[in-house]
Amino acid sequence: MQRRTFLAVTLMSTMGGPARAATRGGTLVYGRQTDCIYLDPVNTAQNADIWVSLNLYDTLTQPTDDGKSVVPGLASSWEVSPDGKTMTFRLQPNLKFADGSPLTADDVKWSLERAADKATGGQFQFLLASIAGVDAPGDGTVVLRLSHPDPTMLQALATFNAGIVPSKLIMAEPGATLDDKSKSFAQHPVGSGPFTLKSWNRNSEMVMTRNPHYWKQGADGQPLPYLDAIRYVIIPDDATRILKLKAGEIDAAEFIPYSRVTELKADPRLNMVLFSAAQVHYFTINNRPTLKDGTKNPFSDALVRQALNYATDKQALIQVVTYGIGTPEQSFMPMSTPLSYGTGPLYPYDLNKAKALLAQSDWAHGFEITLYTIAGNVDDVAKATALQQMWAPLGVRLKVEQMESATRIAHYNSADFQMLTSLWTNDINDPNEITSLFCYYPTIQNRHSGWDDPVLDKLFLDSQQELDPVKRAAQYREIQERYFARAPIIFGYEVPYPVAMAKKVKDFVQIPLGNNLFASTYLSS
Amino acid sequence: MYLLGILGRRVLQIMATVLLVAVLVFTLMHLLPGDPAQVMLGDRGSTAAIAQLHHDLGLDRSIPVQFWEFLRRIATLNLGESVTMRIPVTQLIVERLPITLLLTTMAALLALLIAVPLAFVAALRQGGWADAVIRGISQLSLSMPVFYIGLILLITLAAGLRWFPVGGIGSGFAQDIYYLFLPGLTLALSLSAILLRNLRSSLIEVLHAEFVGFATAKGLRRRVVLGRHVLRNASISTVTLLGLNISSLVGGAVITETVFGIPGAGRLMVDSIFSRDYAVVQGLTMVLCVLVSVVFLAVDALQALLDPRVAT
Repeated sequence: MQRRTFLAVTLMSTMGGPARAATRGGTLVYGRQTDCIYLDPVNTAQNADIWVSLNLYDTLTQPTDDGKSVVPGLASSWEVSPDGKTMTFRLQPNLKFADGSPLTADDVKWSLERAADKATGGQFQFLLASIAGVDAPGDGTVVLRLSHPDPTMLQALATFNAGIVPSKLIMAEPGATLDDKSKSFAQHPVGSGPFTLKSWNRNSEMVMTRNPHYWKQGADGQPLPYLDAIRYVIIPDDATRILKLKAGEIDAAEFIPYSRVTELKADPRLNMVLFSAAQVHYFTINNRPTLKDGTKNPFSDALVRQALNYATDKQALIQVVTYGIGTPEQSFMPMSTPLSYGTGPLYPYDLNKAKALLAQSDWAHGFEITLYTIAGNVDDVAKATALQQMWAPLGVRLKVEQMESATRIAHYNSADFQMLTSLWTNDINDPNEITSLFCYYPTIQNRHSGWDDPVLDKLFLDSQQELDPVKRAAQYREIQERYFARAPIIFGYEVPYPVAMAKKVKDFVQIPLGNNLFASTYLSS
Repeated sequence: MYLLGILGRRVLQIMATVLLVAVLVFTLMHLLPGDPAQVMLGDRGSTAAIAQLHHDLGLDRSIPVQFWEFLRRIATLNLGESVTMRIPVTQLIVERLPITLLLTTMAALLALLIAVPLAFVAALRQGGWADAVIRGISQLSLSMPVFYIGLILLITLAAGLRWFPVGGIGSGFAQDIYYLFLPGLTLALSLSAILLRNLRSSLIEVLHAEFVGFATAKGLRRRVVLGRHVLRNASISTVTLLGLNISSLVGGAVITETVFGIPGAGRLMVDSIFSRDYAVVQGLTMVLCVLVSVVFLAVDALQALLDPRVAT
């Protein structure tokens, strides 16, 4: 029985209905905006790589479609010791990599130790940082020794960078160092996911064929996946990608511009799907008393921050920027994040309240704010002009400076800014990553805002070791409520991932983290 | 002999140009604010991680040392490794450049195929309705931006009539030609308009020259007069114009490749600039610089053949 549930965004169209027999075979042609860059689970930070990674590299646990929990992956079962510091996993029987060689507990040990080691684990090593060691005592058992109890570990093991790689194949690659060997391996990777890389013509197309040794079974009792192959075609231009889909040259297209969603929904040959995304759009503001150039900064005053949040009409922003597709933020974290807490849109538009709050502050006479946007980004232009109009009645003049992305990042990293357009996407189905960056000052000064709340710092550290789910949920509720009340950002909205598909494409899943899952996808005849 | 001397001097000039471009490219890339480590690490980059990546990329060494390394690598034809894709730059260029060369060559040929016959028609019927229509169309294609022409052609000829595939490239040379026809045409249109206008006025000028009247009076057939005497003399400035515009074709290829989803060198350049992939930008610029110089050299040689006065 194959049942898929999606966390529905208001406009989401239906994909399946009741479960029906999947058709086997066929090649799905998927139109991508950008190509992969580097196919090693630990040495990449690019969405283009991460989103396809789970098709190549299987993980001990697998994310559910809604991203809220995990199901067995390469590990069929697991248990946690009473002190929370030892996790024992039992692997599925007879696991094999796509080349037919056996996948052993030693491969799991090797892969996880590489991913958890600061020197070799790449940019997402921190997700697995609590792993102190991995043992493979034999008999298909893997034991994780943790430096502290870690409530996020089961989700971390379902994340792309915990993908299991064939240690023998990597070590047999040419090169003197592990880095050189990994680099060579990434050009022709082998994993144990439902698909395996057949050919890759950079920035043109990538073909993955079905892995005949994949362990998971489909609704028909035969091994997954249903598809024979996926052919990814790279078409950077949005309009061209849609044209190709309409002409029947491709079966699906990602990153449909929001402006065209309504049009494609009306096309009877297409399925326009909005997958719930763990993505929020908001404005980063500098909370420090003075800016880099020494001028006094109104955003250091919580009353000003609250006032401008009330003066920001999120529904109007959604209309202007994403053509009505999106929902106002209810927390600083996306609502698809486990333990997110929200009771409704934050700071609903109320100009009178905004004026009253500003009148109580030292900045009642009005002031100027400089917003850095990404040059040439039409969404940023729409956001900036909308805010200019919304804030003008308060006597706030919004000055907009367009900047090339790399320059803007330099300003951001050195805290040399007053306000930025920002977006965030979760990388793990747990609130800990976003919270460590937004609320825990030591990481990066709360997204370089300079805002610090010692109570939140402590709450976050406690939550990192809290194994009782009820207590942890209460901690996260308090974190989110405190954050909301102090308004260290200008809250915005959440958006879904828009994917348009030919009607025959069934059961394709994009989870809130963005990962594209093709294991159960099929083409109906 | 004299021609060889000129060519030898030109080759020296090219080498000087390439060196100058090397200095410029290196300086400009390093003057750009925003460094690759920060771009690569994005939001999550801690100061320590950025410093580590700086070291790994060799960016913590002094600028003169980096420049010296850069020159040394170019001299040994080792263009380094892409910091984002982690494969040799030469491999990337070898993969991506042929498509762009094919695209620009096709565009240049298509531009000539369009411009030369139409210029003849317009020049021979100077002031007539055919002349007016041809000049009108050329004006139109000159004033439309490349990405707009590209989209119009895609919507009508590819998605609408299904005569051509909607972007991308095929496999194998014959398919490549088929896939690259529309993007080639897109690039060719504005160039053909420039060439057409130039060739038309040169033709008109030459048609009225005394030696043409003489050749006709001598009893030569009209085809011979037009082909051997008129076209040869009128094409001298057009060949120069074509050569000068080859570099703008390469520039136009950047936009065309994006609209049509072609994995060529133009897109590689844009992507690499945005990700501050120094090695790729530098390597690609050097290769393109050499190529454009070679085209200029070829144009000079061609001009000398067409017009013996140039070589003396």
